[in-house]
Amino acid sequence: MPGDSLRHVLDGYKVLDFTQYVAGPTATLMMAEMGAEIIKVELAPAGDPSRRLPTVKDRRSGYFVQHNRGKQSLCLDARAPAGKEILRDLVARVDVVVENFAPGVISRLGFGYAEVSRINPRAVMCSISSFGQKGPLSALTGYDWSGAAYGGVAHMIGDADGPPTVPMVALGDVSTGVHAMGAIACALLARERTGKGQYLDIALLDTYFHYHEAGVQMASLSGGRFAPKRSGRHSYYVAPAGVFRARDRYIIVFALEDHQWSALCELMGRPELARNSRFANAAARVESLAEVIGLIEGWFASMPSDEATMAALRERRIPHAPVLTVEEAMRHPHLRERGTIRRVRDRILGEFELPGFALRFSDYQPLELDAPLLGEHNAAVLGRYLGYPAERVRELEQRGVLHSAPY
Amino acid sequence: MGQDGMRGVLDGYRVLDFTQYVAGPTVTLMMAEMGAEVIKVELAPNGDFTRIAPVLRDGRSGYFVQHNRGKKSLCIDAKQAEGLAILKALVGKIDVVVENFAPGVIGRLGLDWPTIHALNPRAILCSVSAFGQTGPISGQPGFDGLGAAYAAVMSMGGEPDGPPYIPHLAIGDVSTGAHAMGAIACALLYREKTGRGQHLDLSLLDTYFHYHEASVQMHSLSGGAFKPTRPGLHSFYLAPVGTFKGRSGYIVIMCPMDHIFGYLCKAMGRPELMQDPRFATNEQRVKNRDALVSLIEQWIASMPSDEAALAAMQEYRVPCAPVLSVEEAVNHPHHRERGTVRKVRDRILGEFDLPGFPLRFSEFPTPLELDAPFLGEHNADVLGRYLGYSAEQVAELERRGLLRSAPR
Repeated sequence: MPGDSLRHVLDGYKVLDFTQYVAGPTATLMMAEMGAEIIKVELAPAGDPSRRLPTVKDRRSGYFVQHNRGKQSLCLDARAPAGKEILRDLVARVDVVVENFAPGVISRLGFGYAEVSRINPRAVMCSISSFGQKGPLSALTGYDWSGAAYGGVAHMIGDADGPPTVPMVALGDVSTGVHAMGAIACALLARERTGKGQYLDIALLDTYFHYHEAGVQMASLSGGRFAPKRSGRHSYYVAPAGVFRARDRYIIVFALEDHQWSALCELMGRPELARNSRFANAAARVESLAEVIGLIEGWFASMPSDEATMAALRERRIPHAPVLTVEEAMRHPHLRERGTIRRVRDRILGEFELPGFALRFSDYQPLELDAPLLGEHNAAVLGRYLGYPAERVRELEQRGVLHSAPY
Repeated sequence: MGQDGMRGVLDGYRVLDFTQYVAGPTVTLMMAEMGAEVIKVELAPNGDFTRIAPVLRDGRSGYFVQHNRGKKSLCIDAKQAEGLAILKALVGKIDVVVENFAPGVIGRLGLDWPTIHALNPRAILCSVSAFGQTGPISGQPGFDGLGAAYAAVMSMGGEPDGPPYIPHLAIGDVSTGAHAMGAIACALLYREKTGRGQHLDLSLLDTYFHYHEASVQMHSLSGGAFKPTRPGLHSFYLAPVGTFKGRSGYIVIMCPMDHIFGYLCKAMGRPELMQDPRFATNEQRVKNRDALVSLIEQWIASMPSDEAALAAMQEYRVPCAPVLSVEEAVNHPHHRERGTVRKVRDRILGEFDLPGFPLRFSEFPTPLELDAPFLGEHNADVLGRYLGYSAEQVAELERRGLLRSAPR
């Protein structure tokens, strides 16, 4: 079968990866999951700071493992001349360079795009930052939710008269990594035609702003009369569309279309409400939102169980979902069957669970991947790519140009 | 014009696009922004449902324009045999097919994966759905928020003893589109080596679950003892990381490492806090979070303004940000200068603001000028260029209702 000798869709591509934390490592993790070879450059002596983030057992971090499976670790002193020489020689031999330092840092290390393209005009270089490489905010430090704040996204979640309340998951970092991965792949496609690399500037701020699927154009086209804002648990322009309290949990219901509302009224034993002018269309239901919420939550409370409620909603194909906790989601048969949650094995942490790989290709199953110990692949990378013999690698380790650690 | 006369990195690629709403159209919109030719198949008579989504002016939808600039509209009755035949002929001439129907629908239309693969072994089919093509809940209707609920992302937002919130923007839909676009590009790279197309299965559920950067492994590696849930305004595993009350608004501060906490202490004029046993390590800071948050908020309140507090923190390189409203973000000089927000022109709506294209390529520094199509605007163009139909043949098909068009 064609592709038999390929591990996965990106088998054969080589990436020099300076990234750390989450946004950058997500891009290179996805490429590793697709079979690319990732040389993770970790700055001696500590390497990726996320090696210290919880859960840590025997100095091994589950956080680090999650975001760095499938990568090879090269831990070196990038300021030493011998370290720079290694990196220059590696740049010449890879397809992609990825970094997510603050703007300017990679250039000061000697590996900005001008330098990288001089060494290797075919290289695609991707820089990931909080706010972009240039502009008034580019010098600011920031992490995930800084982008949510500057991007007008945090503003959109929470009670109308309460504080902005962002879900405490990496909504920005992960998605920025995904955007970067896509951009890198598209630049590699262009390279097939042109033979040339290019420079990609991807920012957390832009990813977050990308999420505005309606608010920006609505504000703009209404001449500013419509000001998008958070409104708690329920949509403010269609109903019912929100989070409802059930017996033991919360359930989201989206019965926006009139026929869905009719079906819901029948289920609630109040079919006449479908024709009642207070509820007859979405706009009316929004006006009567307090009553709609009362009706639905009253019905939920009257049912023998939340499972019975959801079975009834399912049967009438009324869009809904239980608001699952992380624990519940990890046990849910659909997520387990699909591999949305998967079990992995780490040499030190043993078996544990992680999110699955979000991309599914018909030709390939997920790969078995290991996260590296710090500097684990110093000798392997320098040997295979640059022909360094073992003695030279040892000498560099003794001098502190290379570093390694058993975690 | 960039490298070698190309419009964009995907110049030359052809996409047959059955998507509607947001998640699917985001995929093909991104590809159009990168120069691909996107034929948007809209099912007669009305086409994409979002053509009537607000804001509507003169029958033209700003929502539709945002998500469909740069695409060509083919409005066709796919239920008629001749309509299906046209679509099958087009499948033979494109690189990528994208669809986001409920699982099974594209098959009932006559274009399931085995059919597409047989018509064109090099074609990639990308299916985007709420919960995936198979599995116990794959048949359930889906929306962005439902994916967030099933993926336990919704449960991670709000006060611990309060309800979760509905985010009023399409975090899942847009990100799923980005995931799918990346997957398609990688499948095209693979095709360069092997000549093979593939079927790609992307879902809102997987996208949302991807966001769990810590909670899943923390639950698992604690043997289930630690049960992640919404922690309110502050991270449950790092401190100080969260949303702080300011004098006039809210400020996000993120100090995930000891030395960064040190910067904050200096910015507040309280360097001694670094040695305070309550705050000396992240673990201690998480344990004493309430006291820490209170201390920080008191400092913010003591400053003449939120801007002054932010400036003081930024001087010490403390990662911090004001929580901007959409209006404030749209008017921020950085966002305008960078093109995070941009002005576009529509033939009917005139000029208005939209989010910028989030991917920047050095070889293509100027975003393309793109138009969102009227319904069926490119019926003749597509059938002529791809299948050799004459203008009369197309007119005949429109008279018979097989094709449809409208001036919006």
